[in-house]
This record gives sequence, structure tokens and C-alpha cells, in this order.
Amino acid sequence: MDRADIVHENFRARTASGDLPPGAGPVPSLAHQDAVRLFRAQCLSRALDRTSRAMQKAGQGFYTIGSSGHEGMAAVAQSLRSDDIAFLHYRDAAFQIARADQVPGQSILWDMLLSFACASEDPVSGGRHKVLGSRALMIPPQTSTIASHLPKAVGAAYGIGLARRRPPEHRCLPQDGIAVATFGDASLNHSTAQGAINTAGWTSVQSVPLPLLMVCEDNGIGISTPTPKGWVAASMRHRPGIRYFTANALDLYQTAQVAAEAARYVRSQRKPAFLHLTMVRLYGHAGADLPTTYLPAAQVEAEEENDPLLHSVRLLDAAGALPREDALRVYDETCERVARVAAEVVTRPRLQTAKDVMASIVPPRRICAPTNGPAPEARAAAFGSDLRQMDQPQPMSRLINWALTDLMASHGELIVMGEDVGRKGGVYGVTQRLQQRFGTDRVIDTILDEQSILGLAIGMAHNGFIPMPEIQFLAYLHNAEDQLRGEAATLPFFSQGQFTNPMVLRVAGLGYQKGFGGHFHNDNSLAVLRDIPGLIVACPSSGADAAMMLRECVRLAREEQRAVVFVEPIALYPMRDLHGSGDGGWMGAYPAQDERIRLGEVGVHGTGRDLAIVTYGNGHYLSRQAQKTLADQGIDARVIDMRWIAPLPEKALLEAVRGCQSVLVVDECRRTGGQAEGLMALFVERAEMPVSRLTAEDSFIATGPAYAATMPSATSIVDAARKACE
Amino acid sequence: MTCRAVLICPGRGTYNKAELGYLRRHHAGAPLLETFDDMRRAGGQAPLTELDGAGQFGADTHGTGDAASPLIYASSYLDTTALAEDIELVAVTGNSMGWYTALAAAGAVDAAAGFRIVNTMGRLMHEGGAGGQLVYPCTGPDWRPDPRRRAGLLQTIRQIDGSEGILRLSIDLGGMLVLAGDAAGLAEFEGSVPHIDNRFPMRLPHHAAFHTDLMAPVAEAGRAALPRDMFGQPRLPMIDGRGAIWWPGGCDPGALYDYTLGTQVTQPFDFARAIRHAAREFAPELFIIAGPGTTLGGAVAQSLIACDWQGIRDKASFQARQDEAPLVVSMGDAEQRGIVAE
Repeated sequence: MDRADIVHENFRARTASGDLPPGAGPVPSLAHQDAVRLFRAQCLSRALDRTSRAMQKAGQGFYTIGSSGHEGMAAVAQSLRSDDIAFLHYRDAAFQIARADQVPGQSILWDMLLSFACASEDPVSGGRHKVLGSRALMIPPQTSTIASHLPKAVGAAYGIGLARRRPPEHRCLPQDGIAVATFGDASLNHSTAQGAINTAGWTSVQSVPLPLLMVCEDNGIGISTPTPKGWVAASMRHRPGIRYFTANALDLYQTAQVAAEAARYVRSQRKPAFLHLTMVRLYGHAGADLPTTYLPAAQVEAEEENDPLLHSVRLLDAAGALPREDALRVYDETCERVARVAAEVVTRPRLQTAKDVMASIVPPRRICAPTNGPAPEARAAAFGSDLRQMDQPQPMSRLINWALTDLMASHGELIVMGEDVGRKGGVYGVTQRLQQRFGTDRVIDTILDEQSILGLAIGMAHNGFIPMPEIQFLAYLHNAEDQLRGEAATLPFFSQGQFTNPMVLRVAGLGYQKGFGGHFHNDNSLAVLRDIPGLIVACPSSGADAAMMLRECVRLAREEQRAVVFVEPIALYPMRDLHGSGDGGWMGAYPAQDERIRLGEVGVHGTGRDLAIVTYGNGHYLSRQAQKTLADQGIDARVIDMRWIAPLPEKALLEAVRGCQSVLVVDECRRTGGQAEGLMALFVERAEMPVSRLTAEDSFIATGPAYAATMPSATSIVDAARKACE
Repeated sequence: MTCRAVLICPGRGTYNKAELGYLRRHHAGAPLLETFDDMRRAGGQAPLTELDGAGQFGADTHGTGDAASPLIYASSYLDTTALAEDIELVAVTGNSMGWYTALAAAGAVDAAAGFRIVNTMGRLMHEGGAGGQLVYPCTGPDWRPDPRRRAGLLQTIRQIDGSEGILRLSIDLGGMLVLAGDAAGLAEFEGSVPHIDNRFPMRLPHHAAFHTDLMAPVAEAGRAALPRDMFGQPRLPMIDGRGAIWWPGGCDPGALYDYTLGTQVTQPFDFARAIRHAAREFAPELFIIAGPGTTLGGAVAQSLIACDWQGIRDKASFQARQDEAPLVVSMGDAEQRGIVAE
């Protein structure tokens, strides 16, 4: 017999007979009507779990990870406000149902069943994924990337605090709100969770406001691996900066009392708290998971003995809120109602085509208040002595710094954060003086944890800020990449654009630093970014381009709510000369404030028709050197800087190479997974001339004299070009 | 076999010439009528049986708030007591003043208290209600949703409100919008939209600007006249004019009082949403409209069409469904009444 059926029959029989599990009596924390509301939410959650399994068996439902055993979370919802942003564990149906009861006019049963059925009318994801979530209930949808929502919960909490001082135009969280993140005991062990908890404590001990309630739903097991007894309490009871609370979530009344205390602490003290709730997991991990295959039957049955719904029946009866017989009637009526509504839901349409599925990859545009930028006096004050140098050619690092200064002066919601970006002004000085210009709360020196940096950005973006996080080196992105891939990029997709996290992530990267740093400071692969749907990846190669592209990237984030990665070639930061010492050929003047390079607009240098060299970043710099050598040798080449790595500016590239005899792709990234792969495919499929490529080897970068040995050089580009023109 | 149904209680405008004598025809001798009549007499008002038994219908006699509201309440409430035993009500809702009837039908107030609320609010509306109402269709004659037309009408309302006069959405009936406002706002709307079938825009005589903040003084007077302790837990789930569900055992009677004599009086009543949630959260086999008249049947049908319920996409498919197996039953229709009444 299915464990879900066993639990169901147990509940009915034991409630009918009064054979209820023992436990302490109800503490006086809930009015009778509130206790009944929460019990109804618990019953609905349970009935949805049962129905989801029936729907799957009938081929009409597609998700069976349930909330059974975790229904005490209804009491946590009760202790919070419906506008407290909640990043939920996937076992929190009871939380969402109880919260829906706080917001008049929700159709929570219908909506959740639509989600099980992957119906296109599902108001959260539009049928793309079974997620808990709702814009009306301020629950951004989460998927199943374990604990990956904790860093952004920290960011959202920070954003609530910062918005008190610097309210952004698109702020949506109240200033006395708190952020909530829930997760399981197994997830607590994930490095992402530990990083986020560490960051919360690190922030808290410095008295920075961080109204964050973390709720650990400890059912004692992660799929099949038990959590050591006492592990969660031992791990979390004494963390600096984080107040620990605990309750037995089988007891609705106790949970409501302790959750309310924890929420009150977070709200009034603006400090993080950790609410440790003990509970059971019923039925196993998901529909196909049979717990008796890895747990003794006696243990499974012991957990079932402690069905939280049975405890609720006992407690509500003892409190005088709901007689036992009425509780059984509520349960039965709820099960029957859910089955009846499910029969209607399965008739609703589902997504069919790729176009349907992809409709929400790109978030919707939003209207932003127009600005003419800062007043001249304010701008002069911000720039100080730099203003006098603006008509002089400058290297890229300086021009990016100036562009950042103008952008931050124009848009108060822009926030820079990263390792050493403030006091030090960045490893390469790109963010120098920004902290003096805009303050420590807009230019944030973060903890040394890339997941936390990106989480801070994502969470703040939920409250209307435009974060500009910096990852110090491209190689450091990889330990945090899921925050982009699994979180930031997917949020519009799984919420139909109802939730967005626009940002411009600056990453210093790519190779050619002369002898310095080796692989970890010269990583030359962007593959990890190229394939993320909806993500924009920009890579400027000159200072003027960088300034104009950065303005476009900020516009894309502000107005189109896009997540953008801005890859800055480190080796070009200080570059001054192009062909010879002192020629200043790679410096440029600071472009006028209204000049932008639009998304998809490529750079074309020269009008040669013998060859088109398609490249970007350092490759552009080297190709321009090669272009001159080739001209001396009678080959008239044009050099095309793609500028935008993703999405590939296909139309502009095809237009740019038109009329050339052949195309040479020069890619400083590795042969495998590099841009050349996409470019080669594009030209082979859609251009008529021959195409060849010169790429970096599939190697890491060496330190010392061989730093550039694996990558294209001006000489190898000339050689490849000559070959292409043969 | 038990038939699960949602009960819908009608609002103003459903007791007209054809409905005169409804109480006598269907509920003669009901003990509650005596109770209601006594309450009327005690307040110096004409008894319901006298009004209902009048020789002829008079708009000024029967159509005003102090008469129409209690007549409709009594008719529809008593209808709910006449339902066949195999009808299992799974939820109750109402349109506008039908909310008061829903409270009584669901057991959140007893029948006499419900009558007191209706009679008090009807009298207060009659005495102090400002402004008026009109009704205008937001779909074509086929009842198919027309989002563009609807958006255009809402835009027109927004433009008029605050510039030419006061004009607000009062009730969303699915295929019809009831607008409320002052004389200038209503007149401006009438001059701004095409006239349809020589009927619409249709003024609703003796109606005030219900469900707008013009009713705030009436709501305040209602709260002064009616005690909070009249309200208790309902026996059945109730769906209000926001689509919110008040569950048995889970109601805060104070919040229910505040909604009923506050929010509900001064804010738009979204009947279409109430019907949508009745369908989606309860999936009943029948929607039973209690009380006199048959006009609310169209609004229920249009509300179901608007949410694409069970493939009913327009008037024709609704009528085909009704012919096959009725989904919406009006107890004010003699033939349909037989389907659900004892």
C-alpha cells in the first residue's frame, strides 16, 4: 500500500477514534479562528499532495515532491506579513496557502493545481515548472537548486535596509518588512547555505541592518541520508550575529508562538535570526521514492505516528477551537473538494511549442523616470580634478571609472559591490574614488565570497535597485556561477517576468597580462556564460567603447530588466599604444554622456574586402596590429569587433562581413566552447565566403614568459590571415 | 444522488413587476415572514406581506431601497430553505446586497439579524444614498469577452472621474459593468459611449452610487446602527465581493463585520470574480440563484464565460449547455425552480 494512503487512512481512523499522538497542550498563541484557518491550510496542503500523486498516475500531473510532514509551516506564515518577501523551500505549500488566506481574493487551490498540471494558465510560471510562488503573495518562485536562494535572501534583506536611506524608483518591499528564506536540514549543509549564513552573521556583527529570518525545516533526513542527531542545533545555536530560535513544528501553537517571537526580533532589531523547526517527512522524498527501501519500516511508521495533522487535531480539540469530529469533516471535505477541482484543472491548456516555453526568457520592459543626468555642479563635485582631464585620451580603466561615475550620479539606484571595490578602488583601480563620491552604502566592500556578492545583487534587485556587482577575476566566477545560471537568469522565466533581477555584473577577465597571474587571473573561457538563455554578455575592447557599452548595459538593466555581464579585458585596462611605443593608439577621449553603443551593434574598422577578421577583446587589439602588417603585405583586411558575446549579434556580423573574400575568426578563448564555435557555425550556415579560425589552445594560462603562448598573437593572426587569403 | 451547488443571492433590481407576489406564491405562511413583518412594523415600515401582496407594482413603492432590499432578502433567503434535500451547498455568494443574504444563508448571522442588516442598510441607502448607477455591456451580444472594449470603457471611466464628475466601477457583472457616480459623471458617460439597443446605458432607478466612497456616510451610519456581536462563524464557506473566501470556523467575526459594513459598501463589488472563485475553488455541479427575477443568470453565465469555465465560450454554448444539463438554475424561473426546490 502506498505510504500516502497509509498516512491518509491512519489520519481518518485515528481522528475518528480519538487515538491521537501524545504531546504538550496548546500554548495560548492562536485565536480559535486563526487555529482553524491554519488547520484548514494544513489539510489543503495534504490534500494537494495526495492529489498530485493521483494526477501523476493519471498522466495529468508532473510533480510529486510534497509538503506532507511540513504542514507546520502554515504557522510560520501566520507570524509574518504577506508583504514580507519569502524565498521558500519546495515543501512549503502550507506556508503559501496560509499566506494566501491573508490576502483577500486569492484562488489558491486552483492556482496550485494549475501548477501541478503544468497548465499554461498557472499564474506563477505559466506552466513552465511546478514552483511555489506568487507575485500577489510576494513569494518569488524557487526551483530545486539546493539552498541557492539563501544568498539572494541575504541580498533582499540588505536591500530592505538600504531602501530606507536610498529608496529606489521601483522599490516594492516595505521599509519595515523582512525577508524570509526557508530550507531543509540537508540543504543547510550546502556550501551555498553556509556561505549565506556566514555572510548574514558577518554583516550583522557590523551592525548593518539585515532583517532576515532563516527557517530550517529539520525533518532529519536528506532524501536517504540522515542528518546526525542534534546537528542543526549544534551547528547554528552559537553563530555570531544570528539569534537562534527553535520549536517543534508538529505543534501548530508552539510554532506560531516561537515564529512570532523570531519574526518580532528580526523586524524590530533589523538583525538576522535562525528559526530551527523540527518536523517529520512523510511519504519519502517524492512520488517515486520509497522510504522503506533505505529506512527500517519501524522508523517510517514512527514518523507516520507523528503526523502533524494528528497533532493539530489533538491541539485544536484541547484548545476548544475545533472539535475532533469537525476536524475530520474539514479534512474529508477538503480532500473531496481538491479532487473535484483537480478534475477541472486537468482540462486546461498546456504549453505546446518552443515559442510558448521561451516567451518569458526575456523580462518585460518597465517605465523609468527620465533623467538628464546630474546637474553640472553635482557632476563637477563628483568628478573633482578628473573633470579637467576629460578631453585628453585615456586608457580603458579610467574611462570605465568615469562612465561608472556618471551613471551612478545619474541613477541613485545603482549600487556597486564586490571585493576591494571601495576603499582600495579595485585591484586595477577601475572603481577608484567611487566610494568617496557615492558613499559606503552605494559602493560596498563585500565579504570574500562570490556567491554572496551575486546573491546580494540579486536580492537587492528584487527591491528595485540596479546592482553592479564586480567579480574580481573571471576564474572566481565559477564557484558562484549558479547564482547567474540557476537563479538570476531563470527568475523571469519561472515567473513570467513578474519577478526580475536586473543587474550589470562586471567581471575582469581574459588573458594577456604580461607574465602576471597565470590561470586564475587570466582565465580565457566565457563558455559558462554564453549558453545561459536571456543573459547578455558584453565585452568591450577599448575605453571609449567600454564607456558607451556600459551605458547601454545599465539602460538594458534599468529599462528592460535584463541581467547583463560586462567582461572587461584586464590586459587592456592600462593599454595606451597600438603599433609602437608612445603612439597612444589604444587610448580614447571620454565619449559624450549621451553616446551609447546599442546591444547588437558591432564595430567595423577598415573597409578592406580581402578578408574580414571577426574578433573581440584582446583579439581585437591584436587584430588591429595584424591589420597594419597585412596591409603592408598587400592584404586589405577589415577588422570586426563583435562587442556583444551573447546573444550573438548575427545580423550585424553578417552585414559587416558582406563583400569580403573570406572570414577569419580570432578567438582568444579556448578552442572548445569558445566564441569561435558559434561564429564558425554562423558563417558556415549563413555566409557565402570561406571561413577559418584562430583560437586559443585548450589549455590553462601559464605564469611567466609563456603567459601568451597558448593564445593568438599578432603574428599568428597575420599568418592565419595570409593562409585564409591564399 | 447529492448535487453539490454554489448558492448565489441576488442584489437590487431583481424584484420588479413580474415578481410581485413572489413571497405569497412560494412562501405563504412561512413563520419567518411574520418575524420580518413584526420587525418592519416596529420600525414604522410597511410589512413585507403587504408590499408583496399589493394589487399592483409601484416603482416608488416597491423599487426603493427600504422596500426592495427586504423583499429581495426575504424572497431569496426563504428560497434557500426550500432547496431539495439532495442539494448540498458547498459555498454561498451574492451580488451586492445579496452579500447580506449570503451571510444569513451561510449562517454567519441568523435570519432575523440578516433581515435587520438588509432593512437597516436599505433604509439608510434610501434616506441618505447619494448619486446613482447605470449599467452598460462590456461584451457583445454573443457574451464573448472583449478585452479591448472592456479596457476602453475602463479608460473612459477613468477619464471622466475627477474631471467631468464622479464615476467609478461599482459592480463587475462579467458581461456588464455597473457604474456609479454623481449626476455629472453618469451623464458624461451616457454622452460618451454608443447607445445599444435603445437600452444601454441604462439608469437604475432608485439606486445610489453603491460600492463607492460616496457611500461612506451610509456605511458609518450602518455601523452605528448595527452591533458587532450580530456576526458569528458561518456554517458554509462564503465568497465575498473581492473573491475572498470566509471559511467556517476560520472567520474573524470582527473582520467580517468590518468588511460587510465598511469595505463592501464603499469599494467596488467584483461579482464576476466571486463567481470565478466559486467555480475554481469549489467546482460545483450547479450554480443556484435564489430569489426573485432571472436577470442575474445572465451575469453568472457571463462570469463563467469570462473564465472559460468548462469550455463555455459564449452565449450559444452556454445555452446549449443549459439545454443539455443545466449549470445555472434561477429559482425565480418557474421551470428551473423545479430542478432544485422541494
